[in-house]
Amino acid sequence: MSRDTRRFLRMSYLVASIAGVAFFAMSVALLGIWPGRVLEQETRRMSPPHPLGLSVSEQRGRAIYSREGCAYCHSQQVRYLHSDMARFGAPTLAWETRFDYPHLWGTRRIGPDLSREGGVHPEDWQFAHLFAPRNLVADSVMPAYPSLFDGSPDRPRQEARDLVSYLETLGRARELAGPEGEAHARSACNCPNDEMAQMAFHAASLNANPARTRRQGVAPDLPPTANMDRGRQLYAHNCASCHGPHGEADGPGSAGLHPRPANLTAHEYTTARVSYVLWNGVAGTSMQAWRDFSEEDRAAVAQVVRGFYTPQTEPALPVEITDLGARVYAANCSQCHGEHGAADGSAISELRIVPADFRGARPTIAESLRALRNGVEGTQMAPWTGRLSEAELSAVAYYVRGFFVRAQ
Amino acid sequence: MAGSENPNASAVPRIETQLVYLHGLAAIVTLLISVTFGILASIELLVPDFAGNPSWLSWGRLRYDHTQGILLGWLGNAFFAFLYHAIPLLTGRPVKSARLGQWIFGLWNFAVVAPGWVLVLAGFSQPLEWAEFPLVIDGFVVLALALAIVQFLPPFFWRGLEDLYVSSWYVIGALVFTLLAYPMGNFVPELVPGARGAAFSGLWIHDAIGLFVTPLALAIIYFVIPAATHRPIYSHFLSMLGFWLLFFLYPLNGTHHYVFSVIPMSAQIGAITASALLGVDVIIVVTNLLLSLRGSGLFPRDVALRFASMSTIFYLVVSIQGSVQAQMAVNQTVHFSDWVIGHSHLAMLGFATFAAAGGLAHVWQRIPWARYNARALEWSYWLLFGGVILMVTDLTIAGLVEARLWQSAAPWLDSVRAARPYWIVRSGSAIPIAAGFLALLAGFTTGPRGAGLKSIDASAGLDPVEHIAPRLARAASGTL
Repeated sequence: MSRDTRRFLRMSYLVASIAGVAFFAMSVALLGIWPGRVLEQETRRMSPPHPLGLSVSEQRGRAIYSREGCAYCHSQQVRYLHSDMARFGAPTLAWETRFDYPHLWGTRRIGPDLSREGGVHPEDWQFAHLFAPRNLVADSVMPAYPSLFDGSPDRPRQEARDLVSYLETLGRARELAGPEGEAHARSACNCPNDEMAQMAFHAASLNANPARTRRQGVAPDLPPTANMDRGRQLYAHNCASCHGPHGEADGPGSAGLHPRPANLTAHEYTTARVSYVLWNGVAGTSMQAWRDFSEEDRAAVAQVVRGFYTPQTEPALPVEITDLGARVYAANCSQCHGEHGAADGSAISELRIVPADFRGARPTIAESLRALRNGVEGTQMAPWTGRLSEAELSAVAYYVRGFFVRAQ
Repeated sequence: MAGSENPNASAVPRIETQLVYLHGLAAIVTLLISVTFGILASIELLVPDFAGNPSWLSWGRLRYDHTQGILLGWLGNAFFAFLYHAIPLLTGRPVKSARLGQWIFGLWNFAVVAPGWVLVLAGFSQPLEWAEFPLVIDGFVVLALALAIVQFLPPFFWRGLEDLYVSSWYVIGALVFTLLAYPMGNFVPELVPGARGAAFSGLWIHDAIGLFVTPLALAIIYFVIPAATHRPIYSHFLSMLGFWLLFFLYPLNGTHHYVFSVIPMSAQIGAITASALLGVDVIIVVTNLLLSLRGSGLFPRDVALRFASMSTIFYLVVSIQGSVQAQMAVNQTVHFSDWVIGHSHLAMLGFATFAAAGGLAHVWQRIPWARYNARALEWSYWLLFGGVILMVTDLTIAGLVEARLWQSAAPWLDSVRAARPYWIVRSGSAIPIAAGFLALLAGFTTGPRGAGLKSIDASAGLDPVEHIAPRLARAASGTL
């Protein structure tokens, strides 16, 4: 090599080396620091003034979530994509992640995204699920975490309580901010023409999780004909783990749930009632909604569910028993179950779990008596044995069955 | 560098073969352990309760240890082994000191990899990709990386940079930029919350591969090709062009891990554009490498060269795939799916592992007292080749199946059920892969001592000195 060539090489390597360091610095500046500043400003502008952070227990739960690698199967980031929004809800805004040290966004989804998991499942379901996931969700591949419990899902250790309380926080801040919070964020975003940014505010619902229960609502009518084979298959995959293979509420997942799952052999259901429960779930219980099922699939499941009930011959009752039942019901039951058994009593807004609707579900006499004598654990339905005489108990047990409206 | 028939032997400075050997063995031992973590994790996806669910064997912790073990244990050690062999040849100078080498070896394996694994299994970790070892371990990584710079870089600056062969540049770049990038992925997200932290994580996820693994793997490939073919590489100009473009473009890719997120769209688009340009750069690099390999066939006779050659092809495929999957139209579908797991295995198990295995085989051939089993290495190559192709093809299809279901209205669990047959095949692909790695271990620990030297075509001279280290060649011929 001549001297000139060497000088040229030296110079170009010097320039290139400086450029190399400069490009690295540029990458940190352009893809790290600058976006960080933008996101920080966005957070400051769009966040509600006092968003709810994490309690000590919730922070401990977050550490468990981190340590177990939950984020490697469950992302916490709803993307600005219609396919994400349809499943999980509104895209994740920067301010929602302001308490995440470090972030738990994840880059793989084996299970669903959890950014809006709070309020989807009740605590007893979460415990039973962490203890033995496949007891509740057949074919799930989630690891079980028995070490968080003292041998049964009913005996969570502190760590399980912390973890579940953390799960309840997912999506909470934005939920609590309410419509005012959304309006504030939208005006602070000041981006009426930014189509993508607008998506964050235009989700059909903040939390689109198809399993999330609704306390009130309507349900679509289900077509009468149904493919029973498909229904049985769906039931086995999705329902049997709690309701049992024959509807007797003895599935492996039933043990940790309070209230226990419904005994499908002990109730005569209208199709409308099953449709309602499949569409809305039973708020406050582990009965989730199944809005991700197609209409045909829900119709098929409904027929299978209704098929577990064996019709019985109904005894003709003397009128004095009916009258006694009516009196007892009006005095003790109608405040919650409603005057006509439609679960619309004046007290229901006080109840965590909506009481049984006797118009759409008729319990067998044995089931009716069982509920009256023992109460329904995990709900406000208390045992009535001390307060009502045997005669009154049987009378009202028969009486409530009269509300059923089969024609529906 | 025994071999008295080599006229350049006298000019070759001391090579710390003990350290080559130690790091080489540590690489394969940590590889086998890391692969065991991966296999257990893959089986837990098929039979989630098979191990009885003790917390230290739960899926998340195995997953953390799998990737950290591959990155730091296997590839880290293999790269160090290669550097101890290559740097004296590339520069004509010995590394700083054997003593320092023992410290680096001890730190890397007994203050980073081994305790890192144990801490993760015991529940101490951080939930950041390619950064799962807990913070206390990160401190030792940074220390070891700093010591590695002291150990390996001074020889390059002995007398200017004009004569430096491309492998040298890759080594310098990798060591310097890994030290800069590592804290960004491991420390910053602990200090900066949520979306802001994710932006930095994205940078590191890519830099771990782009600034640590890729340059060192390419340094090996660029080293092994002329050494084994006894021919200079096709073009030094292209090699330097490829090198600089790589170091300009790789760091700018990071945000493509969070496309369609709340991170500013212009940063996302910048990263996506850089990802496309990176594909162009890789085509330049690979063209140069393949032209340098011309005449050797798709499966060269020398097993080290064969590993390096297939690594080159994997590098091309995985990089083009990466450029494509960063594009929004593709990313919105395949992101979050097994497609990406296939992609990362094509990068780490295909490209990087084949380069590292080739580098190790190459240096092992040249340790005169080391055992060397050519037959076992033959087996290793073909088992790994088959295993990688099976696994990556399988996961790529699995990803497409999952992505299609996610786009539809199907319940989430349908995608889990649909993945199961592919996961069975993936676990099955562990059989040839694990067998291939055991054969690699056998290749370096069984067979006669010094058999490696005999496997080299000695007629053309032992070493690539004239092609990769002109300064050394001149020193040997007395013109320096």
